[in-house]
Amino acid sequence: MTQKRKIITRRDFLRTGSCAVMGTMMGFPLVARAAAQATRKSTVVLIRNANATSGYGTLDEKIVVQMLDEAVMVMLDTRDPGSAWRQIASPDDTVGIKSNVWGRLPTPGALERAITARLLAVGVDGNRIAVDDRKVRSNPVFKRATVLINIRPMRTHHWSGLGSLLKNYIMFVPRPWAYHGNACERLGTIWQEPHVAGKTRLNILVMLTPLFHGVGPHHFSRRYTWPYGGLIVSTDPVAADATGAQIIQAQRNRHFNQVRPISPRPLHIEAADTKFGLGNSHPDQITLVKLGWEDEGLI
Amino acid sequence: MPPNTHASPLESLQRDLPSRVGPWSAAGKDRFFNAETLFGYINGGTEVYRAYNLRQCLSRRYSVSGGPSILLDIFDMGSSEDAYGVFTHDLDGDKFAIGQDGRLRPGWLSFWQDRFFVSIYTEEETEAAQNAVIEIGQKVAASIGSTGARPELISRLPAAGLQSDRVRYLHHPVVLNFHYYLSDENLLHISPDTKVALADYRFDNQTATFLLVQYPTAEAAIRSQEKFLKYYIPDANARGVALLENGRWTAIRRIDNLLAIVLEADSEARAEALLDNMP
Repeated sequence: MTQKRKIITRRDFLRTGSCAVMGTMMGFPLVARAAAQATRKSTVVLIRNANATSGYGTLDEKIVVQMLDEAVMVMLDTRDPGSAWRQIASPDDTVGIKSNVWGRLPTPGALERAITARLLAVGVDGNRIAVDDRKVRSNPVFKRATVLINIRPMRTHHWSGLGSLLKNYIMFVPRPWAYHGNACERLGTIWQEPHVAGKTRLNILVMLTPLFHGVGPHHFSRRYTWPYGGLIVSTDPVAADATGAQIIQAQRNRHFNQVRPISPRPLHIEAADTKFGLGNSHPDQITLVKLGWEDEGLI
Repeated sequence: MPPNTHASPLESLQRDLPSRVGPWSAAGKDRFFNAETLFGYINGGTEVYRAYNLRQCLSRRYSVSGGPSILLDIFDMGSSEDAYGVFTHDLDGDKFAIGQDGRLRPGWLSFWQDRFFVSIYTEEETEAAQNAVIEIGQKVAASIGSTGARPELISRLPAAGLQSDRVRYLHHPVVLNFHYYLSDENLLHISPDTKVALADYRFDNQTATFLLVQYPTAEAAIRSQEKFLKYYIPDANARGVALLENGRWTAIRRIDNLLAIVLEADSEARAEALLDNMP
């Protein structure tokens, strides 16, 4: 007897009640996990501060940098930022900080500067630290990088559902559009490329004013951002993205006053878990540590 | 000046576009993009336009001292069907009488006309900017002049209950999943060779979602019907009708090279009636 091939459909979500319960199509199903998938839980730190931003285009640099320090300390279980950053990089390392320059919601310069300063403080030579996005493939520091730090704001995206930490590495391949098939499902393979694999020590998903819905060719209206005032920090990019996705989904449901799934469904987050073994996407496999401001946390 | 016979449709149109609207004036040179170079302009959004066979995009920025810029983007989709299709990708907003099926939201006006999709966008939603957006739209529509026909497939949708302003036209599986998530795989073999209409229906307090797929051949329609029955509604009855887990009904029927699917209806009778009422 031949076994029927498993194709995930809308009915799988209806059957498990994922849509109704979570108001999303994330995190289901755990049909088959990649062989390389670690079975241990992932830790994700979500830190928020009501005064981090007053809205789109604003941030309090001092507060946001303090949030970063605190989150990294908790994430790496240290008592001071220096000890935490010494776990991330040593003086012998060459460090690429993979940023995101999308004009309407770029990685805040304040965070790029703070990360650079902390790397310098632990003894990494300034000539061996670079911040880049579009030109990482030709950037000499990134070419020699022994450590990568991944940082970007989360936003909805026309074709992949979400602009995520996983997607942020698309600039590491020569033909990014080659990964756009089936809603960018294969983005996880980029993380297995030799010049990328195993180098990422820290992922920071900027949730200060995330974009939860997009309109028009430019997929942007500031009315679809909101002052969430958060940072999500994890060594597991999949878990960080899955956590951010839940928050975006909850905000969509709240704003539109109905269940409005992220579209297209961000298959790449789930596939990074179940097909490529890069981390954990299911909430059951994520230990979420929440710090700071609790109002309207949405998760 | 004699017309440049080698000019693209957008280059021809460019001459008639407004250079000034109120205090806003065109800033810098117009930029042109094709299906490859558009990535550098609108990032991931490009895939939507590629899914509708984008030929060329013209982008013009209008600026004003002390106010927000306005971005005019005109997409030449090569056919009125695809111009209509890419317009239907975002149907939110209020109907507005500009071009064909104009839609206005705070800060963004869109419409299709002939083979063009037009988007006029401002980042700051001031009253003056909104008025300028509208005026630019009116002038662009007048410059295009001619109108285009909707895809013929739309006329095969059942008329009763059809929400004519909630019809989408597409031929890419990711675009279908964007509007109605069906499955992670391309269950219905949607491709550039297929034409798809997705429509909302309303009957008093009942609703339904209807999908119509036109394949190049009847054989292709049969293959997709079999796959849909196998993977989506293996529990369907002999008439191709099944009860979903959310209490709603799905039904499928093939008519030559057309596959008609009621994705969701409030009752079995409604699902079958929609299929029976196809023109």
